[in-house]
Amino acid sequence: MSVGFIGAGQLAFALARGFTAAGILAAHKITASSPDTDLPTVSGLRKMGVNFTVSNKDTVKSSDVLFLAVKPPIIPFILEEVGPDIEPRHIVVSCAAGVTISSIEKSWVISPGFLQTWCSVSAGAAFGTLIRCMTNTPVIVREGATVYATGTHADVEDGKLLEQLMASVGFCTEVEEDLIDAVTGLSGSGPAYAFTALDALADGGVKMGLPRRLAVRLGAQALLGAAKMLLESEQHPGQLKDNVCSPGGATIHALHFLESGGFRSLLINAVEASCIRTRELQHVADQETISPAAIKKTLLDKVKLESPSLSVASTSKVSLFTNKSPGGKKN
Amino acid sequence: MEAAELRVGFVGAGRMSGGLARGLLRAGKVPASSIMASAPSDRNLGAWRESGCRTTHCNLEVLQESTLVFLATKPHVLPGVLQEIRPAVGPHHVVVSLAAGVTLQTLQRLLPAGTKVLRLMPNLPCVVQAGAMVFARGSGAGDGEAALLKSLLSSCGLCEEVPESYINIHTGLSGSGVAYVYLFAEAMAEGAVKMGMPSGLASRIAAQTLLGAAKMMLETGEHPAKLRGDVCTPGGTTIHGLHQLEKGALRATVMNAVEAATERALDMAKD
Repeated sequence: MSVGFIGAGQLAFALARGFTAAGILAAHKITASSPDTDLPTVSGLRKMGVNFTVSNKDTVKSSDVLFLAVKPPIIPFILEEVGPDIEPRHIVVSCAAGVTISSIEKSWVISPGFLQTWCSVSAGAAFGTLIRCMTNTPVIVREGATVYATGTHADVEDGKLLEQLMASVGFCTEVEEDLIDAVTGLSGSGPAYAFTALDALADGGVKMGLPRRLAVRLGAQALLGAAKMLLESEQHPGQLKDNVCSPGGATIHALHFLESGGFRSLLINAVEASCIRTRELQHVADQETISPAAIKKTLLDKVKLESPSLSVASTSKVSLFTNKSPGGKKN
Repeated sequence: MEAAELRVGFVGAGRMSGGLARGLLRAGKVPASSIMASAPSDRNLGAWRESGCRTTHCNLEVLQESTLVFLATKPHVLPGVLQEIRPAVGPHHVVVSLAAGVTLQTLQRLLPAGTKVLRLMPNLPCVVQAGAMVFARGSGAGDGEAALLKSLLSSCGLCEEVPESYINIHTGLSGSGVAYVYLFAEAMAEGAVKMGMPSGLASRIAAQTLLGAAKMMLETGEHPAKLRGDVCTPGGTTIHGLHQLEKGALRATVMNAVEAATERALDMAKD
């Protein structure tokens, strides 16, 4: 199985790193593409042994599972560009926050070149399988939290295949699509909340006399350990908290401070804000207000396709095209 | 001490002792004729007499007529009362002080050496047999006395023996806690009134809600956090309501209340 990433940023890097570390994929079976070769993640991907290209089409050709790992506003451009190259046998996984399955499927339909294919092949087989996914950066250390929802034309096996892939880099489960924005707010953004908390905890440690490195190490380990306890326990987190709080002791005094500051409420607010913003972004995307920079990037990509490709390290030249080019966007 | 020969006396006939007596009577633990209460004036004694209890204006008489004696005067009056009754206190007596802030050490100092002394902190719902009480025993009181008290007072609600240091905490938590709950119930009802429900109905429902929730906690023994989670359907009404409570830092405020009341109990004890 080969995997491709349209987009070579943080998400592609994290997933590629995770998959290779898990041993579920060899690096040379992974392709990533981006018009911007200056991204720090690009050199990271190359160092890993991943095939990097500036041609999105090359990525599509050399992949069975295709991750759309670009920022949400770019998705429509990607679909327009590589839509015609996507075959029914592809499993397309969109990781874009707030981008619904239906909006992607709509874009697919309106792509002119693809419309031709759609008319000439039976409806169900015209689209590649589409799955919407929300993951998070700790996939990089194989402790990701991933959910996915399958599109209208996805088979059960396709979902299971993705689940296997993502389960190699952490927790993965299927959900109804309408929950994905909430997942974004909770575990999508969650690592950022944790990093903020850890930074502050380390500050607390430093204030009370610990060297910074040790404070960071201990804080991280404390959260890691607590999370592990909770995941492995039948008990409610409230009960686990009680177990740590001896009557009149240090911990309960500290917790009182947290409560006074509205700690819980802040976290609830954060998850809510992230979820609501995700929905807003989807709304924005639906209205097709694209930034000029994003437009420029995709234009640049098209230009590069006309000239000899810069670096295509792919050894695999096997064409996955079994049928003729569907009269699509020939540049 | 056999229950049959148990004669219970109350020095001080105010709300607290009245509540305990009523609890004992309702539970049928002690016949009214075996209960005697003393007070300086007749003001509070009428209700006792109506229940069939014996009354007097003489504290000494209570000691003479009773084996188990509850001291239920106001704290500042107690030292004087102890001086007064001291001559009548004997080894057969079990003396239980309800006075907030008066320590076992003080009680034992003011009573004959070796007297069986215990200190009790009840709360008002003892009147309806749903009280929360803790008691601590002095050096002269043994397992028998502790067992007797616990058995008698379980008729009034929850009764637990504790180290003396917990008594002030109990005051802040449950003695005063009853008032916190009234406040919360009132606020809940007001919210309902705002949304269009008549206040009488809202009040009764608020009370029943608290009662039901408390009953579930006591009967299931589950952690309140878990019980709370059980009520919260994803994206539903409850979690929206709870979020408002968290925004208002309700938890911290309640912790503050318990802390403040407990500290006040400690301060008063020092006076």
